[in-house]
Amino acid sequence: MKITKFIFIMIFSLSVISCSDLLDKEPVSSFSADGFYKTTSDAQAGVYGIYDAAQSVFRTNFAYWGEGRADNVKTAQSGEGLMLLQNNLDESLASAYWGSLYDMINRANYAIKYIPNIYKEGDAAGNQLVGEARALRALAYFYLARIWGDVPLITEPYLSIEQDILVTRTSKETVLDLVEEDLKFAAQNCRDKFGNDRDRIMFTKGSANALLTHVYMWRHKYDEALTTSNLVLNNSLYSLVTTMDDWGKIFTNSYSKESIFEVGYNEKETNSLRVLYAIGSYAIFTPSEKFKASYEAGDKRIEYVYDVTLADPKAIWKYLGKGLSDEDPTPSKQNIVLMRLADIMLLRAEALNKKGGAQNQTEALGLLNRIRTRAGLPAFATVGDASTMYGDLESAILHERSIELCFEGHRWFDLVRTGKAISTMQPINGLSDERNLVWPISITSLRKNPNLVQNEYYK
Amino acid sequence: MKVLKTLKKYSLFLMLLTFYSVNAASNTAYEMYLSTGINQQEIPVSGTVSDETGQPIPGAAVVEVGTNNGVVTDVDGKFTINVRNRGARLEISFLGYKKSEVTINGPQRNLQITLAEEVSKLDELVVIGYGSMKKRDISGSIATIDNESLENTPVKNVMSALQGRASGVQVVSNSGAPGDGMSVTVRGQSTLNSGNEPLYVIDGVPVQSNSISQLNGWESHGLNPLADINPQDIESIEILKDGSSTAIYGSRAANGVILITTKRGREGKPQINVNLYTGVSKLTRKLSVLNAAQWRDIIIDTYKNLDAYNNATTPSEPHWTAIDSLNPMNNGDVDWQDIMYRTAYQKQASISIIGGNQTAKYSLSSSILDQDGIILASNYKRITSRLNTDFRITDRINAGYSVSYTHGKNNRINAGGTGNNSLVQSILVRPPVYSLTYPDGSPIYYFNGKRNPVGLAVEATHLNTTNRIIGNQYIDFEILKDLRFKTNISLDYITMKEDEFYPTTIDYRAGYNSGAVRATNNLTWANENYLTYNKTFNEVHNVSLLGGFSQQAWKLETTGLNGQFFASDNIRTLNGAGTIFGQDVNTTVEHSLMSVFGRVSYDFMGKYLFQANMRADGSSRFGKEKKWGYFPSASLAWRFSDEKLFDNLNALEDGKIRLSVGQTGNESIGNYVSQGEFSLGANYLDYSGAAPTAMPNYNLSWETTTQYNAGIDLSLFAGRVYLTADAYLKRTTNLLFNVPIPETTGFDFITQNIGEIQNKGLEFALTTHNITGKFNWTTNFNIGMNRNKIVSLPENILTNGYLQNGTYHILKVGESIGTFYGWKFLGVYSRDEDNVNQVKYGSANGKVFRGGDPIWDDLNGDKIIDDQDKQIIGNAQPKFTGGLNNDFSYKNFSLNVFFQFSYGNDIYSNLNMMRNWVFAYNNVSTDALNRWRKPGDITDFPRPIRNDPLRNEYLRVSDRWVEDGSYVRLKNITLAYNLPAKMANKIFLEGLQFYVTGENLVTWTHYTAYDPEVSSYSGLQIGVDDGSYPQSRTFVFGLNIKF
Repeated sequence: MKITKFIFIMIFSLSVISCSDLLDKEPVSSFSADGFYKTTSDAQAGVYGIYDAAQSVFRTNFAYWGEGRADNVKTAQSGEGLMLLQNNLDESLASAYWGSLYDMINRANYAIKYIPNIYKEGDAAGNQLVGEARALRALAYFYLARIWGDVPLITEPYLSIEQDILVTRTSKETVLDLVEEDLKFAAQNCRDKFGNDRDRIMFTKGSANALLTHVYMWRHKYDEALTTSNLVLNNSLYSLVTTMDDWGKIFTNSYSKESIFEVGYNEKETNSLRVLYAIGSYAIFTPSEKFKASYEAGDKRIEYVYDVTLADPKAIWKYLGKGLSDEDPTPSKQNIVLMRLADIMLLRAEALNKKGGAQNQTEALGLLNRIRTRAGLPAFATVGDASTMYGDLESAILHERSIELCFEGHRWFDLVRTGKAISTMQPINGLSDERNLVWPISITSLRKNPNLVQNEYYK
Repeated sequence: MKVLKTLKKYSLFLMLLTFYSVNAASNTAYEMYLSTGINQQEIPVSGTVSDETGQPIPGAAVVEVGTNNGVVTDVDGKFTINVRNRGARLEISFLGYKKSEVTINGPQRNLQITLAEEVSKLDELVVIGYGSMKKRDISGSIATIDNESLENTPVKNVMSALQGRASGVQVVSNSGAPGDGMSVTVRGQSTLNSGNEPLYVIDGVPVQSNSISQLNGWESHGLNPLADINPQDIESIEILKDGSSTAIYGSRAANGVILITTKRGREGKPQINVNLYTGVSKLTRKLSVLNAAQWRDIIIDTYKNLDAYNNATTPSEPHWTAIDSLNPMNNGDVDWQDIMYRTAYQKQASISIIGGNQTAKYSLSSSILDQDGIILASNYKRITSRLNTDFRITDRINAGYSVSYTHGKNNRINAGGTGNNSLVQSILVRPPVYSLTYPDGSPIYYFNGKRNPVGLAVEATHLNTTNRIIGNQYIDFEILKDLRFKTNISLDYITMKEDEFYPTTIDYRAGYNSGAVRATNNLTWANENYLTYNKTFNEVHNVSLLGGFSQQAWKLETTGLNGQFFASDNIRTLNGAGTIFGQDVNTTVEHSLMSVFGRVSYDFMGKYLFQANMRADGSSRFGKEKKWGYFPSASLAWRFSDEKLFDNLNALEDGKIRLSVGQTGNESIGNYVSQGEFSLGANYLDYSGAAPTAMPNYNLSWETTTQYNAGIDLSLFAGRVYLTADAYLKRTTNLLFNVPIPETTGFDFITQNIGEIQNKGLEFALTTHNITGKFNWTTNFNIGMNRNKIVSLPENILTNGYLQNGTYHILKVGESIGTFYGWKFLGVYSRDEDNVNQVKYGSANGKVFRGGDPIWDDLNGDKIIDDQDKQIIGNAQPKFTGGLNNDFSYKNFSLNVFFQFSYGNDIYSNLNMMRNWVFAYNNVSTDALNRWRKPGDITDFPRPIRNDPLRNEYLRVSDRWVEDGSYVRLKNITLAYNLPAKMANKIFLEGLQFYVTGENLVTWTHYTAYDPEVSSYSGLQIGVDDGSYPQSRTFVFGLNIKF
């Protein structure tokens, strides 16, 4: 009897003992590295994941990189903004850290490697997703090369620690070659359009060509820039808005027909525009004295940019909206417009001017005038008129970019690209050394990788 | 018997001691008798005290109960005493024997009193893994904390009961917040990942001891799941320290094992205990801040100094708050500490009933605690309830069931850290001039870019509600006389709900509020089955065998959302939110462990002891081919006192030498890190995305600790002196570490097995019964010295020979964990010219340091202050830690005085940095009154300068903030009075005790911020004071009532 009881207990306890698959626990709420990129929905999710990384990249840094070191802004705050404006850059700056860009690149590398395995060779849907991934990778490398110069060039995803992780820097021209190659693929294979809001916040053939235009202009490849900009100007997705109210809405409402590529945000996935530009008396950047003195009388854009009734406006209204009060609870949800038609038109005008010749100059002037007249400014009748006012046509175009695209993250790159950074900034913050045009590499990166060498000026 | 002989030889010495105390007492009694002048009838009594063999006991105390009247026996065990009251009781006591009482109803001539030998301390049972053992037979290193040392200290959680009580066990409070956690380190940090905590086993159930809190804001350490246990339910705590004791727990035992045994029922009359206490707490010390005038002065200085630096022609206009002292928003003069810290009250009530008969035994208890924190609005409430039962089902089957339930409600505040919401720091740096209210009387909760700390504490919600059930059932079956089988099934289920809300009143935006909610369930089940066989052969060979199998699994589910734009500040549940987001927190993770274990113990007459253990553990966390780890151990002990050689050494009651070696493991890494991970929630607007978040490492395997231990236990002078000493060496290899990798990979780190760490140390625990008899004095002293060293790290992960470990620490071969690394502060340049070498900041193109700037040590002499000039600036490892406890008792009074200490550890005081960095409009300490003001000033407080162009403090880890963190703390004094039994009986009680306790009474330290016991955060980044919730000084008054 007692023995049977014992056996009963033994059986009971042994029944609880399962076989050894107790120890095989697959993730429940995520995928293992082997478990992802198996289906077309995985492919799509992987590409959205790259855009998600782009949100982090541009959230704050689009302004630090594009405006922080240039002449359109000033700051009443200490910290990052002040350091940049004073040209007091050091390796502890947050904007000197490229981690989020490489996160974006790694996600893109995964997509580029694995998506082709999911689709049949030559499948348009697969190529379209790879195209988007390659455009996003190009976007990241384009910023990397412009900000730091030579940077590590990584084109394969990291799957194992056995891979080379202590990478060295690759020449920026090689990096930009890859950028061009990726964008050419994207311009071939991305969708023509999505037919909805996604046209503005995801890469299409048009936005790939627009980015390619930027890259060509940076590399002074004007012929190529003329080709790609022409494709953008003729793309029916894009047209200039006509009224100033609509111009204001490009930034406040996003998804404008003038917009080519914006990084999407909403009230849940917010950015730092509010802190950067419009947190009342605490905004990091406000319009500089130079900017306030630089626009022509009658420019209708300015009242959408800041409060013109104040001698020293405390906010930039461009994104958060005209008349925004300090205490307005509006979240920082506006998309950050990286490229738009007016921007590409002015780049084209610049390229035409560089090519020279009367016909090109006339076309350039025409493009410039379309932007000017929309803003309520008189058209320049001749190239001479523009030169009289701004010295030469190139300066007139550059000035127009400075006003039209103010605070959109273009100014610093425009100055560097056109070789005007030192002449412009020297009187303001003493910038004098060509080697100082790049950022330092963050101390965080240097500490983790002994093979990285700091940029010369910051050694 | 030999023991007794020894004892008698020492009796003269003891007799003298005892006589001294008794005599002193009886003199007083005599005087009292004289002074009362009442002629009482005295009853003469004489007799002999002897042991069970009839041998007389000299030096035994014979005392009339409830009086001072007493004598001691002479060499022949004889005594004579005059008893004052008819019906009085005489108590006869002698160390090592059970007390005896006789009632005297009339004169007695030849009273024969026999004292039974008391069971020695050495015969007490010590709980070990899957069993128990007599203390005398232990061959490993185990520290025991019995309920006596727990009973009279109103500790609120189990871990604080360990602090300073056991050698080699370092316990550090994470903060002074009610219900907050403590970090326990047994024999040094032996791992590089965060899993540095020991394994906790309650009544055989391995319990969840990591915080499952998902929303803990700025306190990165979260809550303490062990706060769920009422310390008064605890019978004993055993700390398994060496490899042979812990190896039976294999993979989770590398950081030691803490076995907690709760009180169980026993046969006999039911005993009802009620404990009530109430207490009051205050901040231990205030820190200095500038007053309004001094603050204005220094802020204006920052502008002046910047103008001077820039050679500005027009002086800059200081911010209006610094110059306008008439504006009602800005005309206060407040030390915010006076407003934010309060006198806090606490109370606890508990009741327990213990009883049973031959077939059923029970122990049930419940308690309620209500504790206010010393910072406004913080409060912790806890209700606990427990039932332990044991049944004799048949002659051969015993079974039992235990269940405990805890409900905890913690109204928290964000204390630590450096953010805008971190209260402790914001209290200290908030300008003294800011007004509390608008002219119309309504409170100002947001002003000039800063949230009012009062507003943050009072208006915001950080509510954490926990419910926890631990249930455990066992069946114990006697198969044969010596062979038993036991099976155990247990559940540990925790649910935690967290609510967070920031109302509109504390935000700069009109109508903006935000909230979040998290609900977390953690379920652990375990099943353990084992056979034990105990037999003695030929009366000399004692053999004991254990073999078993166990499995355990965990599941953690988190549900939650964030919301903003709530319709009203009064509706704080998420249904009121205008916008909902944060779906990515809704996750489930799982983990499981399977084990086979066994133990062989053999001893020859208790003289030569041997034990071997083996455990094999399989964990779901490791790579497919590396799932199983094997953890063997063995120990040897020799009771040399039983050898003939020592027979004549009478002082020696018992002596034992122990040797052990054992391997244990560590598997505390992320659940899926070996497999790599693609996480969801990487969404782009409304499009669901996924992203790689962990690189796979299929070779990931166990971290293994090999520990060698040598120890000696000595019991001297008939148990009056008890000494345990241990020396150990722990080597941990294949360390699981989140190795930082370049961000160019797209990942921050990868979990790898790397390197080796060594801990070695000495531990001593000494218990002495200094005085016994009517007056008792017992001392416990323990001290542990641990030396930690990183033996190896792979070259390829090092930069400049080290690995940066968080902001303040590095890991470097040859150094210990907890090494601070930064710049050396050599003083302040008095004049511009004093920077003779024209040392620059950052790079060759950097700015030159000038008069008023700190002199940073240019270590490599390149005239540039940069990363290359960083050096080791301190170390957070204590040289030794320990405690000193003294128990005194005299008649019905008992007094416990407990000191606890830590020596030789440095603290990186980030809090002192924050309160001395003249940043923006922050207030600073009064050290700033000694600041550099003009060229030629010689001081160690640099020039305050607005937007410091040389970023002297910004992110600069420097030895200016490294301080000696040694301290001695008078941790606890408890004075208790037991009402005499007679009086208690009159009010129908078995016993009544009053007690008064003072906690954290005095701390001797050179540390200048709130408290040297600073938050540990993780086992790796130790010794940083980030301004966590300060410790308090507490006084408690309590009652223990026995029915």
